[in-house]
Amino acid sequence: MPIPVISPAEKSYIEQGVETDCRADGRGRLEYRHLVLETGLLSQASGSARCRLGNSDVLVGIKVEIGEIEQDQPNQGRISCNVECSPSASQQFEGRGADDLNNTLTLALERLLSGPQSGLDLDKLCIIPGQQCWVIHIDAMVMDCAGNLFDCIVMTTRAALFNTRIPKTEIQDLGDGEFEFEVMDDVEDAEAIAGWENLPMSVTLYKIGERYILDPTILEELCSQVTLTVGVNKTGQVCGVQKGGSGSVDPSLLTEMIQTATTLAGPLIQQLDAKLAEEEKNVLDKRRKGEPVQKLGFFAAVI
Amino acid sequence: MDRKRVNGPELSVPPIFKKSMDVEPTVLVNQNKKRADQRGLDDIRPIYLKTGLVTQANGSAYIEIGNTKAVCAVYGPRQLKKAGFSRNGTLNCEFKFSTFSCTKRRNNMRDPQEKEFSQILVQALAPAVRLELLPKSAIDVYVNILENDGTSSCLSAAIIASSVALADAGIEMWDQVTACSAVLSEDQVLMDGTEDEEKRQTGAIILSYMPSLNEVTHILQSGKSETALTTQAVEQCIDGCSKISSVMATALLQSLDKSSGL
Repeated sequence: MPIPVISPAEKSYIEQGVETDCRADGRGRLEYRHLVLETGLLSQASGSARCRLGNSDVLVGIKVEIGEIEQDQPNQGRISCNVECSPSASQQFEGRGADDLNNTLTLALERLLSGPQSGLDLDKLCIIPGQQCWVIHIDAMVMDCAGNLFDCIVMTTRAALFNTRIPKTEIQDLGDGEFEFEVMDDVEDAEAIAGWENLPMSVTLYKIGERYILDPTILEELCSQVTLTVGVNKTGQVCGVQKGGSGSVDPSLLTEMIQTATTLAGPLIQQLDAKLAEEEKNVLDKRRKGEPVQKLGFFAAVI
Repeated sequence: MDRKRVNGPELSVPPIFKKSMDVEPTVLVNQNKKRADQRGLDDIRPIYLKTGLVTQANGSAYIEIGNTKAVCAVYGPRQLKKAGFSRNGTLNCEFKFSTFSCTKRRNNMRDPQEKEFSQILVQALAPAVRLELLPKSAIDVYVNILENDGTSSCLSAAIIASSVALADAGIEMWDQVTACSAVLSEDQVLMDGTEDEEKRQTGAIILSYMPSLNEVTHILQSGKSETALTTQAVEQCIDGCSKISSVMATALLQSLDKSSGL
């Protein structure tokens, strides 16, 4: 199936709307669509989250496994990311159509999360230094593609990592430099990932005409020639900048876009984190009182 | 599974030399503001750039930035492999590290990082090439990295070589595309980092730029840094790019002299 096309008339309509700060669905240039975020929906995963941003739907499942350490980082655990666009998400994804997009999204997510800029404490993920460590496998699945995929994926990944619990391990020293460890089965004892609060958020700005917008729909994405993805953490530091699209941008506009993205990310991170903490507190309260925890259900997010 | 080749063991690791473990790491920037190879913070490594290396290609270029070596060959405009009409030409780029180019041996097949770099090449070069003049045609750009002394510098070498090779092939362009990379530390921007410097710093940035049109065609920053430092790095990279564009122009003029001075 061919990539979606857009007519010149429609393109001009969208460009004029962006120019006057009133887009086709009535939003301003820097407004997000309706966001539904839910954590802890997959029982077999160590952590999971699902996010519906407008009509874009992303599900992230996290499994923590025990693996061998990497030779160049013998005292640290590691993170491995994978993004897959389900062939049902869009007409252009059938067969191998999604391969390029999967690769781009996977590497972009890896660039944001692997390394010191992710803020995660990888030393704590090491079980036996020089031998075994926890490997966090992050698998994101795009179930519905309706624009602004990468931001949606990063939001969901952050929520899923918030929800992830790593089982406790008990290490026994057998002497002679030999160690053995046991993984505790108790769900209550599992710990959250250290350094989670420092995870960066991504803000992608799409340039249309001479202005830039946030969170485009599919048609608006087709009108934009340049996209700029900026990763920002809660202290306002830039954790990655990546340009996409086949156009070019003036240097002063580029600097302005980086500044705007950094400014926008702060309140976004704060509000999301507050909501996640609130949801967790409610769930724990209900569990303590012995009340059943009501899940939203897979279709509840579709409005 | 790679069935075309006789594969070695699935996992093999490079040896760890005892001497390198005992040696103290050299200071990146010493008191006189000089780096390990006596460059200043703002100095880029010397560049050698020449066209015409690959005789079978429509255009080609060979570039050395310090120890980083890259070859680019351009074939085109030529017929699209798939039948069908496309109003604008297609730019296909293939980026490959030679298996012996990096510290750890690279695979023969293209891995995800090389696929991403290929896409980055397309994004960096497409704004400059006049594809609307070449309907139903494809331009193929093949870049091979022979020696890797800094991954960001490999990418910028690839972009510079590709731009010069495209011009050497006689393909009409709006402007040359120059590229420059830098390494970011807590509060300093080190232009054109080597592999050693890249491994030990908190971030790297690479920027490609069209000097006459004053437009940035690609930016890629990894690692963590303050917004002000990123902005400063962007400005310094643009300055570096302007310096490099004169080197590219000289190389192209030399190739003209060579062909006309027969």
